[in-house]
Amino acid sequence: MRTVITANRSGLRLNLPELLRYRDLLWLLAYRDYRVRYAQTFLGFAWAFVQPLLTMIVFILVFNKAAGVDTGDIPYPVFVMTGLWAWSYLSFVLTQGGQSLILSSHLITKVYFPRLLIPLAKSLVAFIDFSVTFVFLVVLMLVYQYAPSPNVITLPLWLLALIALSVSAGIWLSALTIRFRDIQHAIPFLVQIGLYFSPVAYHSSRVPEQYHTLFYLNPLAAIIDGFRWAVLGTPLPEFPYLAYSLAVIVLLLVSGLYYFKRTERIMADIL
Amino acid sequence: MALAIKATGLSKCYRIGRRRSTSFRDSVAEALRTLFTSRAKPQVDFWALRDVSFEVPQGEAVAVIGKNGAGKTTLMKILSRITEPSSGAALISGRVASLLEVGTGFHPELTGRENVYLNGTILGMRRSEIKRRFDAIVDFSGIEKFIDTPVKRYSSGMYVRLAFAVAAHLESEILIVDEVLAVGDTEFQRKCLGKMKDVTSRQGRTVLFVSHNLEAVQNLCQRALLLQDGRLIDDGPVTAVVSNYLHRFVSSKKEQNWNSETAPGNDHIRLLHASVRPMHRNQNTFYTNDDIEFTFRFEVLRDKPTQLDVTFHLLDERGILVLVASSAFSKNDFFHNTIVEARTTIPGHILNQGTYTISRLMFLERKCFILFEHNDTLSFDILPQPTGRMGWTPAQKEGIIHLPQMHWTLERC
Repeated sequence: MRTVITANRSGLRLNLPELLRYRDLLWLLAYRDYRVRYAQTFLGFAWAFVQPLLTMIVFILVFNKAAGVDTGDIPYPVFVMTGLWAWSYLSFVLTQGGQSLILSSHLITKVYFPRLLIPLAKSLVAFIDFSVTFVFLVVLMLVYQYAPSPNVITLPLWLLALIALSVSAGIWLSALTIRFRDIQHAIPFLVQIGLYFSPVAYHSSRVPEQYHTLFYLNPLAAIIDGFRWAVLGTPLPEFPYLAYSLAVIVLLLVSGLYYFKRTERIMADIL
Repeated sequence: MALAIKATGLSKCYRIGRRRSTSFRDSVAEALRTLFTSRAKPQVDFWALRDVSFEVPQGEAVAVIGKNGAGKTTLMKILSRITEPSSGAALISGRVASLLEVGTGFHPELTGRENVYLNGTILGMRRSEIKRRFDAIVDFSGIEKFIDTPVKRYSSGMYVRLAFAVAAHLESEILIVDEVLAVGDTEFQRKCLGKMKDVTSRQGRTVLFVSHNLEAVQNLCQRALLLQDGRLIDDGPVTAVVSNYLHRFVSSKKEQNWNSETAPGNDHIRLLHASVRPMHRNQNTFYTNDDIEFTFRFEVLRDKPTQLDVTFHLLDERGILVLVASSAFSKNDFFHNTIVEARTTIPGHILNQGTYTISRLMFLERKCFILFEHNDTLSFDILPQPTGRMGWTPAQKEGIIHLPQMHWTLERC
């Protein structure tokens, strides 16, 4: 194995064989987070349950009862939980992934490994919260006797889009955060705002037509619509909006990787 | 022989912004100024490493020595790919494992076993490799009984043992080690040095070793690089480079005083004063017949009473360990939250003329665990005893020790 170290290494290329060689580390970083966050304390797992439950209750009270959001023959709790299901994954990766590099500065300044593994590991850990919310959804569907729509076979595709979006947002934010420390204070705010600008508590069809171009700039909107279409059989957005959202995800992913690789070269120096 | 490392013109420049203004009004003004004028703040270039070139053949153990801030760690960080050079290049053949710290990534909540896997993979091992060597790692660390206990319950000694055990079992062609032996207990340090010696001499691996421990450096390496202010100023056989280092940097330092802000130390010990002087005389020159008195004053910051020992290593100008002086076998009190003064004397007619350096000054707990180590603390010259009473000048003596009178008998037989 030969390594060349130079000032202007063509380090912008994504070194996939190397990432593959370090896959054990990816799993161990995720395992460490899982152990520290969930396995150590009983409350750890309890939190993963409490968060979607409370959000659902708040949404039922505010949107369903007070604002009178009507979801037709779909029970509102089932409707909200489907949105929260997708949302739980993205919000975890945004908050945890965003500050992941800063919190790993003791590793980054002491040993070499592909830095991309740090935010990527968070996207693995996020599956824990995601699974907990999924259990909620299944329980609610059983309670309300609501059968999944046949579109459910397309779910893996929507999940893939969700992962791609979350990963690209996570690596963007993690790299931005170590350059501009203020970003870490902005992330919780971003997540909070995002919850209302995404169709979690309401259906996208309630957003006036003329705002759709703006609304679907947030690719999560299309993804949540997709999740609902797959599980509950609600209508999908029109095709141009789907393609548009997909393009935004691809753009975010490519630019995120590029920005991350650029930051990676100076990471140990600015941390 | 094939080259393991070939570095050509490695440089690293850090941009340091101008010193921050001290008053709030000034800093607001400064912030506004940089906001409305160009973003370019006045910056100062700091060259941590400048045009360093060297080659290391496969299987050679090379030491990197120099004062603090000479660029040793920067060089190690570049070679282990943690940071990029500003210019220059290095070609490395083989897998590199770098150890800039013991126990990188250890998490207190995880058990010893989990941390072995986590730390091992962080250092570049595959899970299967760790599994294969797991028993050897645990065996080397000597803490089998606690392997499934969270490391937050470990003593600091156990922690270091386990962490070093992982590092000692890295399977890489090139090992980069930076000052990691400065912690832990002395007995375990010896074991680690033995392991590293084994790694270089028998397994034929290439080692780059940064240390302030000049004895360990000479014991492990055949060759040394000497850095000063980021430049490579000497490269050659380890004994020659070590003696160059001693001549250059630690000449005559008979007394050192620190105030509470500058005192070197850590949470346990802060060193306040170190001095050496000839006893019974008020002069500052040492002769071979002088008793030499050492004084160390330090603050013990520990809350719980600790059995403390002071130990130092004395090297001559060639870097040969002349003696190890330790208070461990004298009667020692327990100390906590106090200032302690330690004194000892080397009687005259033992050290020969020459330059002597206290290369390691260590504060130990219970005779073995190092609470704090200070390097190159003191240095002094011993001159030949002045002209005798009868006007007879003794010949310059060679050799490490000096004896005034040896009883000889010469008889016809």
